[in-house]
Amino acid sequence: MAGSLSLGRSAPVTLRRANEGPMRPTSPAPPPATQVRKPPVHRTGWRAILANRKTQIALMILVPILVLAALLPWLPLQAPLQTNLRAMMKPPSLTFPFGTDRMGRDVLSRTLEGVKVSLFVGFSVAFISLVFGVVLGTVSGFFGKWVDRAIMTVVDIFLAFPSLLLAIGLVSIVGTGLIPVIMAISLADIPRFVRLQRSLVLSLRTRAYIDAARTVKAPQWWLLTRHVVPNTIAPLLVAASIAAANAILVEASLSFLGLGIMPPEPSLGNLIRDGQTYLEQAWWISTLPGVVILAIAISLHFLSDGIREVLDPRSRK
Amino acid sequence: MLAYSLKKLVQLFITTLGVVTLVFFTLRLIPGDAASAMAGDSLSGEALERLREQMGLTKPYLVQYLTYLKGLASLDFGETITTGLSVFGLMKSALPITLIIAISTIVFTVLVSIPLGTLAAFMAHKGHKGLDNAITGTAMVLDLMPGFWTGLVFLLFFSLKLRWFPASGDVNIADPASFLQRIALPVLVLSVTQIATMARITRTAVLEVLGEDYIRTARSLGWSELRVLFRHALKNAALPIVTVVGLSFGSLLNGTVIVEFIFNIPGIGSLLVNGINSRDYQMVQNLIIFYALIFVSINFITDLVYRKLDPRVKF
Repeated sequence: MAGSLSLGRSAPVTLRRANEGPMRPTSPAPPPATQVRKPPVHRTGWRAILANRKTQIALMILVPILVLAALLPWLPLQAPLQTNLRAMMKPPSLTFPFGTDRMGRDVLSRTLEGVKVSLFVGFSVAFISLVFGVVLGTVSGFFGKWVDRAIMTVVDIFLAFPSLLLAIGLVSIVGTGLIPVIMAISLADIPRFVRLQRSLVLSLRTRAYIDAARTVKAPQWWLLTRHVVPNTIAPLLVAASIAAANAILVEASLSFLGLGIMPPEPSLGNLIRDGQTYLEQAWWISTLPGVVILAIAISLHFLSDGIREVLDPRSRK
Repeated sequence: MLAYSLKKLVQLFITTLGVVTLVFFTLRLIPGDAASAMAGDSLSGEALERLREQMGLTKPYLVQYLTYLKGLASLDFGETITTGLSVFGLMKSALPITLIIAISTIVFTVLVSIPLGTLAAFMAHKGHKGLDNAITGTAMVLDLMPGFWTGLVFLLFFSLKLRWFPASGDVNIADPASFLQRIALPVLVLSVTQIATMARITRTAVLEVLGEDYIRTARSLGWSELRVLFRHALKNAALPIVTVVGLSFGSLLNGTVIVEFIFNIPGIGSLLVNGINSRDYQMVQNLIIFYALIFVSINFITDLVYRKLDPRVKF
């Protein structure tokens, strides 16, 4: 099972893996506490990421939510925008697992519709900030001098704003709606990625293998695309999955404040805002979609922990 | 130390100037200017032109920019576009409320999270995984709960069901008893997230220190576990904790906007949200700059405290 896709550098582990082999199949006695520890094998790659316990927990939460959201039109639920005057403000039941709102709309199907929006926002923001962060951070860290100074000055100015407040400020300029919200949150997030990538590149710049490549006259672009950027992917992936969780929370907060995605376009944030007025009579409208946001955020954090554990064995405890 | 502080102060000044410049020019970039945004469709072309002139929008950008800087320096933030009230006056009455909420949150957080984090670290160090896992697990979940959702759940439970705290009503600093009752729940909501973050950081920092030689020495001298833990371990773990107290101020400011909105508290967060909803750019511009200023100042202070606490850091 050695041939897994490798991310970044892979440690020479084949020897240890061979040694450890025979111990694996059967554990003879009930293992004492010390033996519960993971074997000292360090694998990198997608297969290893999928085999990690934390990643599995993350996927166990995330995949069902994703599947339900994707299958929404075929589920035996009332359509998200369908009103039903005979079932207004009904508490959770079998027909309406999350209850209904003041117009008799099904809160669960609206939540799932909102999940789609949330995940779209989360992953778009993570992707956009990752791309811009990698480009600007690499340029800044690798070329140094005035380029670095110019980029970092701008980054510092952006980092002078608390993140949600920056997003609020940007939304007040670019307006409300799905795309402006993604733009605003990404713009607020990019400086963090630039910082991270820059520090990663700075620590790589003096590595021996970069010097080695330089001595054989490798061109700049070769150095950057073959040696520098691939070795920063791992920490960036960890940061990206946290950024996705964060973006989902920020989008929800913006929409809750009425500054993000506006109804009738459903979003978890504006669903919760909708229910705020009826909190006392119909607690389920606001609280249940929040549980889903929390579940998604937790799973993305587990995902980032899982990726980190696989890619950086020192972070294991 | 003085030279370092001065250098940092200059940096602070440059960043602030950058912030002001960025906000000023970004707002000028939007299609349609403040006058047309404010007037909506209600004014004819001629009246709009007069309004522009009145607001000084017909002058060159550079002149507007310098006028604006001069105003900021003399604490004149102009008037709100919609109501014509002085922005400075509004901020002056709203700021104490927000500050009291923020500072109470920090105090409460420190009081709860540091003992909790230290306890978790101690348990982890002793190999009692159960309690440690319970604390860290709970902290992770609490940390990720969206602030506005926690706010609503607390409002539902403590105000509407148990009726311990009023959910609405006047917020008047002059009447401390009712004021405290009114801000208690917002502070509690904000503290949930903060405590979670801080307890995790404390745990990590203390756990790291507990493995050091001087802790073993302190134990071998016969000091009690409590004394070792709080006098020796916690003191040495203070550095990262101080940094996090400072850094978490940003998320705290984010949080005040949300709780002020939920609990209907007239702090600067409410001013901001109202300003955006009524398209009052003058207001929004000043408030965003103001938030940034608080945030960088806190970072500046944290940085100095950090250097003061750690004699190893050279100047």
